[in-house]
Amino acid sequence: MRALNIAATGMFAQQTNVEVIANNLANMNTTAYKQQRAEFQDLLYQNVEQPGAQTSDSGTLLPSGIQLGAGVRTAAVYRINSQGTLNNTGNPYDLAINGAGYFRITMPDGTDAYTRAGNFALSPEGQIVTDKGYVVAPGIAVPQNATAITVNAQGQVQATIPGQTAPQQVGQFEITRFPNEGGLNAVGDNLYTETPSSGSPQSGVPGSIGYGTIQQGFLEGANVNAVEEMTSLITAQRAYEMNSKVITAADEMLQMTSRLAGS
Amino acid sequence: MDNSLLISLSQQLSAYQSMDVIANNIANVSTPGYRREEPTFQEYVAHVRPSETQKGMQALSFVQQTGTVRNMAQGSLQSTSAPFDLAISGKGYFVVQTPAGDRYTRNGHFTLDSGGQIVTEDGNPVQGDGGAITISNDDGDIHIGADGVISGRNGQIGKLRVAGFNGELAMKKEGASLYSTSETPTTPTDFKISQGALESSNVQPVVEISHMIDVMRAYQATATMTQSQQDLLRQAIDKLGGQPGS
Repeated sequence: MRALNIAATGMFAQQTNVEVIANNLANMNTTAYKQQRAEFQDLLYQNVEQPGAQTSDSGTLLPSGIQLGAGVRTAAVYRINSQGTLNNTGNPYDLAINGAGYFRITMPDGTDAYTRAGNFALSPEGQIVTDKGYVVAPGIAVPQNATAITVNAQGQVQATIPGQTAPQQVGQFEITRFPNEGGLNAVGDNLYTETPSSGSPQSGVPGSIGYGTIQQGFLEGANVNAVEEMTSLITAQRAYEMNSKVITAADEMLQMTSRLAGS
Repeated sequence: MDNSLLISLSQQLSAYQSMDVIANNIANVSTPGYRREEPTFQEYVAHVRPSETQKGMQALSFVQQTGTVRNMAQGSLQSTSAPFDLAISGKGYFVVQTPAGDRYTRNGHFTLDSGGQIVTEDGNPVQGDGGAITISNDDGDIHIGADGVISGRNGQIGKLRVAGFNGELAMKKEGASLYSTSETPTTPTDFKISQGALESSNVQPVVEISHMIDVMRAYQATATMTQSQQDLLRQAIDKLGGQPGS
């Protein structure tokens, strides 16, 4: 009985849907988290009668045919890379990107990772690092005696040093863009890595054409909309329930059949 | 076998087929651009010789499935805020180039590939008026107009191709939300593309569940009839075939 398997694909798809929604809700307060969505497609069809098949010698055609579907499949879980709201924190090492692009992070093994979560700090050596201690590329060192640090919209880092009248420029942040940021691979800890489908990274100065600007003292919030997620959750749960009802109904029909044979 | 059992069987088989179609509709309740399907049945009349008390040829009506008909009603638009999620209001299909040729879809969930081309989740390029459309990083935020014109910071990039068909019901489903047809597409004018939204499936759960109950009850009724038919047969055998005096 095909209906049982079809309903099972439906339940499986809705289960994925609920998992994605749960992950969105769990990350509602994660810095720079991007909302995800499950995307579904219908499964293969079995052609019992081909639409457009000829039904007589005079050339009349079958208008619709009989095509039996095999259910549904999850085609993708994709990120919606819209801008999150910028939340003021007042911390000079909290940086938010307003617009497109990622900070490049040098991982301990020398490879590159990318992030939009700009909750940075200083390492014991005075370098600007992530909360895990990984260096933010291209590597900016703040002098030990600096009393204040300013990052402007174009990513220039200036330190105020006692005894000097003008602030001293100590570095320049860069922002990296990808032809298809949806293709980046999320590796956890708010980090992404390059994949063949993301395309190769292109680095640029913040604020130049196609790149976002940097906001000091702000963090980008998650772009999850709680109300939207809750309504999606209810819809997904009901859809799951309906698929289970189909299984019950198909099962009852099979029971009736076997009762016939048993008597 | 008895005719009434065969007629019941034809009804029961069609109930199973209805159930499969309903299950597929419910499984695709969240598939963008999905169109609900309904099986259609017809009467198949067989003429048989009369039994003892009857006169003339007897007509028996069997049930036969003739097709599955798609309901072409517009699905509601669901906002996703992804820039390459597109929904068509009105007639028309997006054109997708697959290795097997042009395919048509109402599921407007697209993305970019590593080269910046607009593609489906399976990596097949979406067709514009002049072939595939490539978005460059310098285009900034992309705006897609109601007529399918794609523009960025540096002006127009391309225009999405939207294909219309007269024989929409004759289009063949390929799975993965794609349709194929041998018909030459026309260029429809009465459509509107919405960016950042997807067209929901037009499956209405209430309708499907009530159809499901309908099918089940009909199946049950036939099963009961088959049962009483069998009882009748057994009684006849017991009565007529029984040893006299036993």
